[in-house]
Amino acid sequence: MEHKLLEIKGLKTQFIGDKKIIPAVDGVDLTIHRSETLALVGESGCGKSITSLSIMGLIPENGKISAGEIIFNGEDLTKKSEKELERIRGNDVSMIFQEPMTSLNPVLTIGEQLTEGLIIHDKLSKQEANARVIEMLKLVGFARAEEILSEYPHQLSGGMRQRVMIAMAMATNPKLLIADEPTTALDVTIQAQILELMKELKEQFQTSILLITHDLGIVADMADRVVVMYAGQVVEEAEVESLYENPAHPYTEGLMKSIPSLEKEQKRLYSIQGYVPAPDEFPIGCRFAPRCEKAMEICHEKAPNIYSLGNGHHVRCFLYKELEEIVEQ
Amino acid sequence: MSYLLEVKGLCKHFPIKKGVLRKTVGLVKAVDQVSFYVKPGETFGLVGESGCGKSTTGRAILRLIEPTSGQIYFEGEDIVKLSRTHLRKARRDMQMVFQDPYASLNPRMTVTELIEEPLQVHGLYSTKERREKVFELMEIVGLNRSYHDRYPHEFSGGQRQRIGIARALALQPKLIIADEPVSALDVSIQSQVVNLMEDLQEEFNLSYIFIAHDLSVVRHISDRVGVMYLGRMVEIGTKQELYQEPAHPYTEALLSAVPIPNPKAKRERIVLKGDVPSPANPPTGCAFHPRCPKAFERCMQERPELIHLGGEHYVACHLYG
Repeated sequence: MEHKLLEIKGLKTQFIGDKKIIPAVDGVDLTIHRSETLALVGESGCGKSITSLSIMGLIPENGKISAGEIIFNGEDLTKKSEKELERIRGNDVSMIFQEPMTSLNPVLTIGEQLTEGLIIHDKLSKQEANARVIEMLKLVGFARAEEILSEYPHQLSGGMRQRVMIAMAMATNPKLLIADEPTTALDVTIQAQILELMKELKEQFQTSILLITHDLGIVADMADRVVVMYAGQVVEEAEVESLYENPAHPYTEGLMKSIPSLEKEQKRLYSIQGYVPAPDEFPIGCRFAPRCEKAMEICHEKAPNIYSLGNGHHVRCFLYKELEEIVEQ
Repeated sequence: MSYLLEVKGLCKHFPIKKGVLRKTVGLVKAVDQVSFYVKPGETFGLVGESGCGKSTTGRAILRLIEPTSGQIYFEGEDIVKLSRTHLRKARRDMQMVFQDPYASLNPRMTVTELIEEPLQVHGLYSTKERREKVFELMEIVGLNRSYHDRYPHEFSGGQRQRIGIARALALQPKLIIADEPVSALDVSIQSQVVNLMEDLQEEFNLSYIFIAHDLSVVRHISDRVGVMYLGRMVEIGTKQELYQEPAHPYTEALLSAVPIPNPKAKRERIVLKGDVPSPANPPTGCAFHPRCPKAFERCMQERPELIHLGGEHYVACHLYG
């Protein structure tokens, strides 16, 4: 079996704004291996969520994939019809979102919405679907799974709703689970429960996870590999330990230094100067150069290539231009 | 040493009304017998999960919502007893910064108008002086003067929070209550705003009540920290006492649940069972007992009072009494 489950090559997703084109995702390459958790990290507007929506074929109407390939399980998803994508979304790729309330239908009971997919995609009878849903709800930690079936989303707490979403996402035994900030709306003790649950399910079903988050603590806890995005591009990619031990890109390094520590006393927080540029104001050279403490002349003139630090640790930065260059797709 | 602010037995109970006659059928004890103090020039962090009453506490101190009972002494004077006119004067010394600066700034006002508004409301300075004051404030919080005629939507989240801080600073308050001031911001912007707040504190000898759910940020900025659970204060201590030797099982679990940005960190994570119960129907005795790994019989029957553990460390837990 092929080791790569998903391979994105040179993905560009654009949005049409008021007379201008907004390059939200601008040439992204990334790979997810089988039963691997890949974290996609970055701040608001860096394109991490649009990357995941591109995989799902769920880009909002004013946007489109203008270039690149998304190879999933050997097939290019960008060439699929809406109907074929729908089948893949239901079976092989599932997604959970930050706010489960927006993805659950408020007028349907939990039972009705969870059995829907099974009846449509797996052609199960109502009884079979119910039995399967109860099994899934027990798996995600509901002791009283039978009772939950007849309850409505508003009767559940935020943590319970996210469990329901996970049950729904895992019900078809997907190969890839995309989790977009799955615990951002939850309290820290509930977040701990959900993260533990995701780890257990991943072990059990060998599911690959694409975890989108801004929280570097969660990344350290969950991920095998990490991709850091800034202004629509991948700026660094590495195994999780390599990234935290040796953050190569000045942006990654700055992010790590900006978080206050729970365990150590710090006098003053490090802070990255300035703000993320808007997509129509991207600088000509490196997009991070205006905020970068280590920027050189070349950084303001030319867009940097990607260089390899070995062991799959790649960085888009001229500081490493003596190293081996990685050719982009 | 005298306190700048002393809160004693603060309660805020919201009635639950049902039926056509809107009869009160129960009470949500959002804040229940909360006591703490803030010294001049210090930062008091208030942490807890959603619904624990930390924001309600902040608002009740400013009487943005009227407390049900309790005393709030600001520089020795009980604010709860003040008339509307006197309260208005007292509020000059106590200002608030909110989580979402976009929701708390009028979208039809320019930055100048927004920062000038508090000065105008309190009838301070002449028009010309006010304008100068606005420019001065913009400089202090790190906003470019040339942005003075822009509207809130033209700014990023971090810049909007700077406007919110400038508004709070305009009246030269002694105490700023900041309710989740950095939670909506990205990491790189969050540290800019935290640093700004620390600089301002030093320059103007401000006291802060810093309300947040992010325990790392609270540790960084606070001198002392209070932990709330279901409307009650369960532990108070200096940040060293609280973070190095958490006494309450809830504080312990909360700290252990925070993901540490180090893939090699090996920690025993205490995963609490279940959800936070509804404050309309809190458990008997200690409100935390149904989720507490260390609960014993007394915890179900008797509500624990805050006990002094030494230093400035207090805990409400039967394990220590």
